[in-house]
Amino acid sequence: MKKTLTAALPLSFLTLSLMAAAGPAAAAEELFIYNWSDYTAPEVLAKFEKETGIKVTLDVYDSNETLLAKMKAGNAAYDIVVPSHNFVPIMIKDGLLQPIDAPKLSNYANIDEKWRNPEWDPGNRYTVPWMWGTTSFAVDTAVYKGPTDSASLLFTPPPELRGNIGMFKTPEEVVAVASIALGLPQCDDNPKDLKKVEELLAGQKPAVKIYSSEGIHERLAAGEVAMHMIWNGAAKRARDVRPTITYVYPKEGVLAFMDNLTVPKTAKNVKNALTFIDFMLKPENIAIQSNFARYSNGIKGSQAFLSPDLRDAPEINPPATVKTVFQPVCSDQAVKLRDRVWTRLFQ
Amino acid sequence: MARKTRKITDLPGFRGFTWLFFAYLYAPLVLLVVFSFNATRSGTVWSGFSLTWYAKIAADSQIQRAALNSLTVAICATAIATVVATAAALAMKRGVPFFGRKVTGGLIMTPLVVPEIVTAVATLLLFSAIGLSLGLGNIILAHVAFCIPFAYLPIRARLERMDESIELAARDLYATPWQTLRTVTLPLLAPGIVSGALLALITSIDDFIITMMVAEPGATTLPLYIYGMLRLGVSPEINAISTILLGVSVGVVTLSHLLTRRR
Repeated sequence: MKKTLTAALPLSFLTLSLMAAAGPAAAAEELFIYNWSDYTAPEVLAKFEKETGIKVTLDVYDSNETLLAKMKAGNAAYDIVVPSHNFVPIMIKDGLLQPIDAPKLSNYANIDEKWRNPEWDPGNRYTVPWMWGTTSFAVDTAVYKGPTDSASLLFTPPPELRGNIGMFKTPEEVVAVASIALGLPQCDDNPKDLKKVEELLAGQKPAVKIYSSEGIHERLAAGEVAMHMIWNGAAKRARDVRPTITYVYPKEGVLAFMDNLTVPKTAKNVKNALTFIDFMLKPENIAIQSNFARYSNGIKGSQAFLSPDLRDAPEINPPATVKTVFQPVCSDQAVKLRDRVWTRLFQ
Repeated sequence: MARKTRKITDLPGFRGFTWLFFAYLYAPLVLLVVFSFNATRSGTVWSGFSLTWYAKIAADSQIQRAALNSLTVAICATAIATVVATAAALAMKRGVPFFGRKVTGGLIMTPLVVPEIVTAVATLLLFSAIGLSLGLGNIILAHVAFCIPFAYLPIRARLERMDESIELAARDLYATPWQTLRTVTLPLLAPGIVSGALLALITSIDDFIITMMVAEPGATTLPLYIYGMLRLGVSPEINAISTILLGVSVGVVTLSHLLTRRR
């Protein structure tokens, strides 16, 4: 008697709980999205659900590395994931994404020509643009009155800015921006070139007040520094507090990142994923997303739907002439040289 | 030459060290709780008392879904683990002695000492090998495995201290084994069972590594959600959820402790 009881109870519990757990997954039309945290407008998902009747479930991750690990482990059966440009080639190479043939989507023509056929996904076979941003620097024009058009302002600062500068504490970004300033390629593995980068940074170092990647816009807004390396969105937030802050688009080029909508090979609702991607290619929809995340999108005509402060913000709307530089994932050799520059800089 | 025996508490600086130790353990937690009530976004500068972040959580459907997932998983896993652990404890202590009983006792406890990341990877490999895809069910199954020893410990301890002669007396009075179990053993064992269940519950709610590995789309639990939010730096919102989680954990463990102590 005791034996049957102990065997039967766990089994019935197991069946019950599994049934309860599997219940919602069996619903009619679903879409599972895996995106960066705090990066998906709830309004846009609600609108999508209302228009299509597809129920959306959103999970979030903290980094490209987490996303890649999850996909490689083989249990990320999401329908949409949003890797950054530098992780797209890795995922394609590892066979983690499935082709979506974006040019065949009905709203493909809405994508800005500038963002079609990107270097990380020729022919948009796997991706369409989601949000993009830039990494440059901002300067307080109440302190510095001269021209703000070159990266030399940051690396060889004039006297009024010396000792008043903040830099990122991440070698990837600092070396990438310094390489652009010197006209060198990204992920350079030529030691001679890296020597030049090192000299540039070492020359700048006495003028730098702080190396830190946190609390940047707060520091600029509080006037603790008059010039700081910064992301475009953060620069906008600094300007909201201190109107004399100007975000600089250097003529040498600006470091950029692009996050992309993609469909993993393991997706279970591919049709719904494509419906979602096509939906997000409409200017009125991607604009809701931009208003939420405060980042630029790659869709023509979305400006009309942006909130006024975003529509007129130079941080979010770079001049058409600006040269964007996307950093790929660097080779081991390039990373080693980069880290060596960084170590020597702080010796 | 008689050597004076010295107690460790007589050592110079012992009191100071003790205080330092407790400060090291609890200061971060106190700060986390304090800053969950901060009026501004800063996690370091205090600027006034406010419940903004708790209100924000209350309005966030993502967090609520994650919390609901955590509770569903914890309750299901606890129910299964407690039944299994009770059965195991009874078999080990009251059952007929069998060959390898000592080893079995050890095997029940091993999940406590196996590195969690190893269990996580092994579980993930097993699940993908057999193609198991049950949404939250995957997490529940994984949690049952490591919840069993946590539920087993207090139940077994309670059973050790229970006087078997009461059960024997029941049998002498012609109670069937089933009647004895139902009316004598289980009621006496109840505090241990509840205590074990609460321990299992909290272990399940707090788990991150194994859950992270086996979580399927839509199966985000609260710890996974908190981790995902960290990329924007530690905001008071994270402090607030963590404070709630901490409160629940401390409450449940206290309850479990009180129940074991009684009688």
